[in-house]
Amino acid sequence: MRQWLRIIGLISLGLIVGGLLGLYLGWIAWPTEFTDANPSVLAEPYQQDYLLMIATVYAADGDLQAAQQYLAKLGDRGPSILNAYVLDEILLGKQGPDVQHLARLAHDLGFDSPALQPYLTPPTETVP
Amino acid sequence: MNRRRSRRGDSSVKPARSSQVSAAGLFLLGLIMGLAGALYYAWVVSPVVYTDASPSRFSETYKAEYIYLVSESYAADGDWERANDRLMALGDEALAQRVDAQLENYLRSQRPATDIEHLAQLAQKLGVEGAAVALFAPDSAAATETPTPLASATPSPTATNTAVPTHTPQPSVTPTATIEPTATPQPNYRLLAQERVCEPGTAVSRIEVETLDALLAQLPGVEVIVRWDSGEDRFFTGFKPEKGAGYGDFTMSPGVSYSVMLADGSPEISGLRIEPCDSGSDGGWRLSFQNLRVILETPTPEKEN
Repeated sequence: MRQWLRIIGLISLGLIVGGLLGLYLGWIAWPTEFTDANPSVLAEPYQQDYLLMIATVYAADGDLQAAQQYLAKLGDRGPSILNAYVLDEILLGKQGPDVQHLARLAHDLGFDSPALQPYLTPPTETVP
Repeated sequence: MNRRRSRRGDSSVKPARSSQVSAAGLFLLGLIMGLAGALYYAWVVSPVVYTDASPSRFSETYKAEYIYLVSESYAADGDWERANDRLMALGDEALAQRVDAQLENYLRSQRPATDIEHLAQLAQKLGVEGAAVALFAPDSAAATETPTPLASATPSPTATNTAVPTHTPQPSVTPTATIEPTATPQPNYRLLAQERVCEPGTAVSRIEVETLDALLAQLPGVEVIVRWDSGEDRFFTGFKPEKGAGYGDFTMSPGVSYSVMLADGSPEISGLRIEPCDSGSDGGWRLSFQNLRVILETPTPEKEN
């Protein structure tokens, strides 16, 4: 009986030490290298820049379907990230084509907010 | 006596050593099992999930798509600094080669001409030199000039312009105009290359013509016009398939100057005559023409997945 306890104890000790060592190696020292990532795992600044590129391209070619396809690559949260981003930019008082492109894309994708309206207004023609 | 002692000593040590070995062995067994199980769990079952990745972690497909978006954005806003920052986020030391390869891939997969032009402009800014860049981004001015500003920045949100792209201005028609504005005739072919044909020890008196489509593939059945002072001849490419589907040639006479052009419209290449090569033998000419229209007439609005 004592002999069995000794055997089990030694194996258990080895398991615990080996397990801890394995977790350290697997999660910290040599973690899985992700080289096949998609846009959904991008850090927030990169996601925002990705959205801005989509919006800029959409402003140039007007291809909403293509824009939706690109947006879908950000995952289910893509539209909400876009909406949050454009509102952040508006609330920060950003001006210029970037915000306009983002607002246009968000609006055309169905995001309805009064905050977008000033950025969607067509240019007023000056009458001589 | 000594031997007996020794034996006795051995027999007394053996059990202790085997006990030590078995203890270490048991511990090692547990250690290996624990290590293997934990590594499997950490690498396969529950690997580290990166949620704050950069584009450098993209798969090849997404990297290509990312470069495409950068090229389109750059074509739209003309902001090279921003485009360069975006490209740097890929962390690719061989970025220029990557873009060049993608451009070649676009050509071969017959992407829309605008996609190719925008990517070629990006490639050119990265210093890529090649036939594709020379064809679709022929001068640096095209890349450095502001390419179609989309909208201007405005001081207040109420006075913003919408993101309507401003295309090239349409020609205005004056009331007194009686002549329809005619589009500037563009040749259907460009001269891609003009080279000497020299074969050491052999006199060559041929004008070799090679016709290519916009994707640089051999293009047969193109009519070639050869003129000289006292005459003219015509032939078609593609009748010597062993030399290429877009190949055709014409034999020159000594002392006669020829000019060559394509019936479908190309620059006229004149002053072609038999001239001695460096080796002393007579040499001919090889002209390569590239069709500029094929790719422009096949709009395949296919987007990257």
